[in-house]
Amino acid sequence: MNATPLLSATNLQKAYVKFANRIEVLRGLEIDVAEGEFLSVIGNSGSGKSTMLHLLGTLDQPDEGTIHLEGRRIDNLPSQERDELRNRTFGFIFQFYHLLPELSVLENVLAPAMIQHSVWSWWWNSGELHEAALAMIERVGLSHRLTHRPQELSGGEMQRAAIARALINRPRILLADEPTGNLDAANGQHVMQLLRSLNEHDGLTIVMVTHNLELVRDTDRVVRLIDGRVETPEKMLAPPLAEVGAAT
Amino acid sequence: MYKLLLCWRYLKTRYLAFACIISVMLGVATLIVVNSVMNGFSTKLRTLLHSVLSDVVIEGHSMEGFYDPVGKIGKIRQHPYLNSQIDSMAINLETFAMIQYRKQNGEIGTRPVKVMGIEMKSRSAVGGFHEHLRSYHDAVAKKQPIPPASFEIPKEIRQRYEEAERQLNEARQRAFEEERKATPKVAPFELPRFELPKPGGEEPMLGIGDMQRFFEEGKKQTKQAAVPAPMPVPHVPRVPPGAIVGHLIAHYNYRDPTDGKPKQACDIQPGDSIVLTTVSTGESLRPVYDSFVVVDYFKSEMSEYDANCVFVPLEHLQNLRSMQNRASSILIKLKNYNEADKVVKTLSELFAGERLAINTWEEKQGPLLKAIEIEKSILNILLFMIIAVAGFGILAIFSMIVSEKTRDIGILKALGASSGGIMTIFLSYGLLLGVVGAVLGTILGLSITWNINGVEMLIAKITGSRVFSGEVYYFKEIPTDVSAWAVAIVNLGAVTIATVFSILPALRAAMLQPVESLRYE
Repeated sequence: MNATPLLSATNLQKAYVKFANRIEVLRGLEIDVAEGEFLSVIGNSGSGKSTMLHLLGTLDQPDEGTIHLEGRRIDNLPSQERDELRNRTFGFIFQFYHLLPELSVLENVLAPAMIQHSVWSWWWNSGELHEAALAMIERVGLSHRLTHRPQELSGGEMQRAAIARALINRPRILLADEPTGNLDAANGQHVMQLLRSLNEHDGLTIVMVTHNLELVRDTDRVVRLIDGRVETPEKMLAPPLAEVGAAT
Repeated sequence: MYKLLLCWRYLKTRYLAFACIISVMLGVATLIVVNSVMNGFSTKLRTLLHSVLSDVVIEGHSMEGFYDPVGKIGKIRQHPYLNSQIDSMAINLETFAMIQYRKQNGEIGTRPVKVMGIEMKSRSAVGGFHEHLRSYHDAVAKKQPIPPASFEIPKEIRQRYEEAERQLNEARQRAFEEERKATPKVAPFELPRFELPKPGGEEPMLGIGDMQRFFEEGKKQTKQAAVPAPMPVPHVPRVPPGAIVGHLIAHYNYRDPTDGKPKQACDIQPGDSIVLTTVSTGESLRPVYDSFVVVDYFKSEMSEYDANCVFVPLEHLQNLRSMQNRASSILIKLKNYNEADKVVKTLSELFAGERLAINTWEEKQGPLLKAIEIEKSILNILLFMIIAVAGFGILAIFSMIVSEKTRDIGILKALGASSGGIMTIFLSYGLLLGVVGAVLGTILGLSITWNINGVEMLIAKITGSRVFSGEVYYFKEIPTDVSAWAVAIVNLGAVTIATVFSILPALRAAMLQPVESLRYE
């Protein structure tokens, strides 16, 4: 691991208030992500995994605490700069794929590039961007589905399209929220292999939230969230992770 | 770029958007049609009224009119400014009358009319008369030389009239002869004969008793004798003066029972005799009447004039009403209508001491023109409310679309789309709906406007009754005048309303929190 983490969160606190109820989701979460690392985050439902991912990816802002990207604080940036970060630095993959139903596979993959470019810039770079999108789609194995709409794809194909979309702007960090949560074992394995390949061959930093302990074997590091905090390393060795380790 | 793409895709894939487009389209089309018809109505009415009324009118306040119109014209001509501005003038004597004519089925037709006594040459020079005569229309249609306007009875009509008069005369003669033949012959009345007593004779002298007997005998014989028929009045051929009657006085519309189609029939033909009955002037009004021969029709396409006006020679009407050297108005045609107000002011100064009303034609028809303008404004306001209703439709539909697209908004934000970008998508969507609706509405509106009479006929055919009857309105056809400016304003208004009503849903979409949007199902 490098001395300066690529992404680091300090004392993250986040609570959701609905009417008189205050639900504290994150309670002083601290986490560092090194460049090129494939980090998996596990934990029970409601432990704050997805909330942490949203905060790291600037989709939301913490109530307290800070987030730094290569030493630059990003949690308090103006919304325009946070939009740019989500567009160029972070890539998102969701459990339910979240493809835009009105667009074809190719258009979905190109969507972040379209957001990045103005109309003129788009027309100017259109050829190049299309080539990049086609290459990305080929890499995820969806070349035969270019013009298909999301509703015409299987779950695995949709997730692969979502991965291609997340990568089109060449982000530095991929934030994956239970990417295999809605897939069968074979498709889940396929997606996992793809992520592993992206991490190993392209040096992409990946933070993956998962419930599937089988998958964490393929990651560099695992952290467990309990009640909005990262579990201490000693406890990490306790079952069920110990069982996972024993199995390997 | 994504904004345009999504906007276009939302337009293509959301059938709810078509409801917005249709509502905007109908609003725009209605506004264009109504505006064009109102404009056409207003423009044509102004044109026709102007042509019939002349630029400036000097008129008296009563049926007796004013004295010495010729002298007044001379006075106006002596004024340097007025003389330089006035093109021509005509004396007009206007009064009400009853017209009587024999219909084609032999019945007598009577109706109230407005009689105008005019001097043909000067009235034609003022304009708005000659070009409305049927002889003029016919000549134009047949591309023949245009005949001068005249009360002169054409030769063929004169012959027809004389023939009719001759036949009438013969009929009268025959009737008289038959009546005379039927009257029993009676011995001529003879006075009773009395022998006068001879002087110095035996018989007594004629006394009072004899005289009484004489008269009683006479009365007895008189009672036995029938009253002899009056002597026939010898017919003196007299061709009455010519008259020009309104086209709708002489014609009437009816529905043909065989095919059910509306048709027009003629009751008074050129050459027919009419009788006009009006009143004389003076302290005690008395009815006066005279017969005239119809020489032409007045067809201005303004039913108020075509159904009411009868034009006769000025001098004849003056004599008939005992209004020698009097008139009810002087019609003035200007060389430049822009000078009308100044001319009216100068005329008012010139005739300051006299009870005369001096107005431009617009002032004279002020209430009517103002009413049309007010009607137009109110209709425009009401119709813009239709588009406003369409706007509320857009608001409702957009709110639904935003709710439906909440997750997509979250996805776009996760991919880096800004709140401004999201707002732009929905604003552009509203703008696009407005533009598409306005363009389609303009096409529909212009198509209806340009074929309004065909559409009206179609509706009449379906419903069985005329929507736009020439007898109710001023014109026989629906006049239209498409104003590019009005079409542009309507389009701009529709697009603005569509965009403005999409602001609220667009703001709502922009304010959505990406995390909450992603969780939305």
